[in-house]
Amino acid sequence: MFDGKLSGSGISIGGRKERIMQSDQRDAAISLSGVGLTDEDIYEAMRTIPGYIDITPADFKELYCIAYMHARERFARSESAKDIMVERVIHVPPDAPLVEVAEILSQNRISGLPVIDRDRRVVGIISEKDILSHLGIEDTASFMAIVARCVRAGGCISLPAQAPTAGEIMTAPAITVRADTDLLEIIRLLSENRINRLPVTDSEGRLIGILARSDILNTTLRSGTCPWNISGR
Amino acid sequence: MSMEYFRKMKGSSQSPPRVKLPEIVWSWIGGFLGIAMVGYLNDRFFEGTDLILIIGSFGASAVLIFGAVKSPLAQPPNLLGGHVFSALIGVTAYKVLTPYPWLAGAVGVATAIAVMHATKTLHPPGGATALIAVIGGEKVHNLGYLYAAIPVAAGAAIMLAVALLINNIPKARKYPEFWI
Repeated sequence: MFDGKLSGSGISIGGRKERIMQSDQRDAAISLSGVGLTDEDIYEAMRTIPGYIDITPADFKELYCIAYMHARERFARSESAKDIMVERVIHVPPDAPLVEVAEILSQNRISGLPVIDRDRRVVGIISEKDILSHLGIEDTASFMAIVARCVRAGGCISLPAQAPTAGEIMTAPAITVRADTDLLEIIRLLSENRINRLPVTDSEGRLIGILARSDILNTTLRSGTCPWNISGR
Repeated sequence: MSMEYFRKMKGSSQSPPRVKLPEIVWSWIGGFLGIAMVGYLNDRFFEGTDLILIIGSFGASAVLIFGAVKSPLAQPPNLLGGHVFSALIGVTAYKVLTPYPWLAGAVGVATAIAVMHATKTLHPPGGATALIAVIGGEKVHNLGYLYAAIPVAAGAAIMLAVALLINNIPKARKYPEFWI
């Protein structure tokens, strides 16, 4: 339920959190640096190619790195929200009771959803974090924080008497993107705001889809081959 | 600068892998046929004349076009352009600086490198071709600018023809990578 492996950690495959946090927008974009090309990888690759290769592994690595940055940026600009978003969005109206929101999140195995009004306009977004902080758990709320609290107190959280509605505890206004927002911008928004999902809206602000961090991971790792590979020669 | 300067001398990468046996064999075959062709034609038709068809720098070209087939340095524009530009520069350096052969050689080679770079025809044996124009003895000096045509352009063209014919026989080889 708690998508702990994705939340708050940039999009780093290698999970080097600090580096991603400090780095500029370019580095924050689809960091595959965790994959790390080593000199040995290059040497092994060179061995598979018959014929003398007139380049040192170090030169190749430098070339590869620069070329990869170009490719990464081109890719991030070529993919836009509409290519990645999921169109079937689970959402709730502002007057949905908290308990209903919690049930929907739980049943659909998601950690947040948009709140939309009668005209499908996105008025806010509600996530586990909003619910947890409503229950009095600090902003850094996590599942473990609840467990710790329960164990220490010898009992578990009791809901405030007045059950609130989605509209009262949601984060508003929601950060949203349009269908043509490119991947680079999407990643920047997710990363800078430390959020996990972005509703996609049309020009009237009406919900047309949603983007989660996990969708972006799928997109970026979808194509991982070398079509120019020498073996075809 | 000081520490960095000396640290650079340690090197920072590694040598490319050793090629496999078929590659070594084909390099030998190509080198043999390329030099054999130029050498045979020289001995058969140029022996006893004032002309020559073979010069030392072709041995270096053979290393590249048969031993490092994929190298940018071994491609046709580099092979032909590198030799011809360098020959013209070498002859000119000799003519202008005849009294100072050491200076003519140095100027010739250095200028050949610069011009090959500028024309995207860098071919290391070209440096030898320029130097031979200066230190190659009376027979070479007497050729004047003809040196750039025969032996240099003609010999390089013959080597190129052999490279095209031989380097495309093995499945794992192809030549050239580019023409311009």
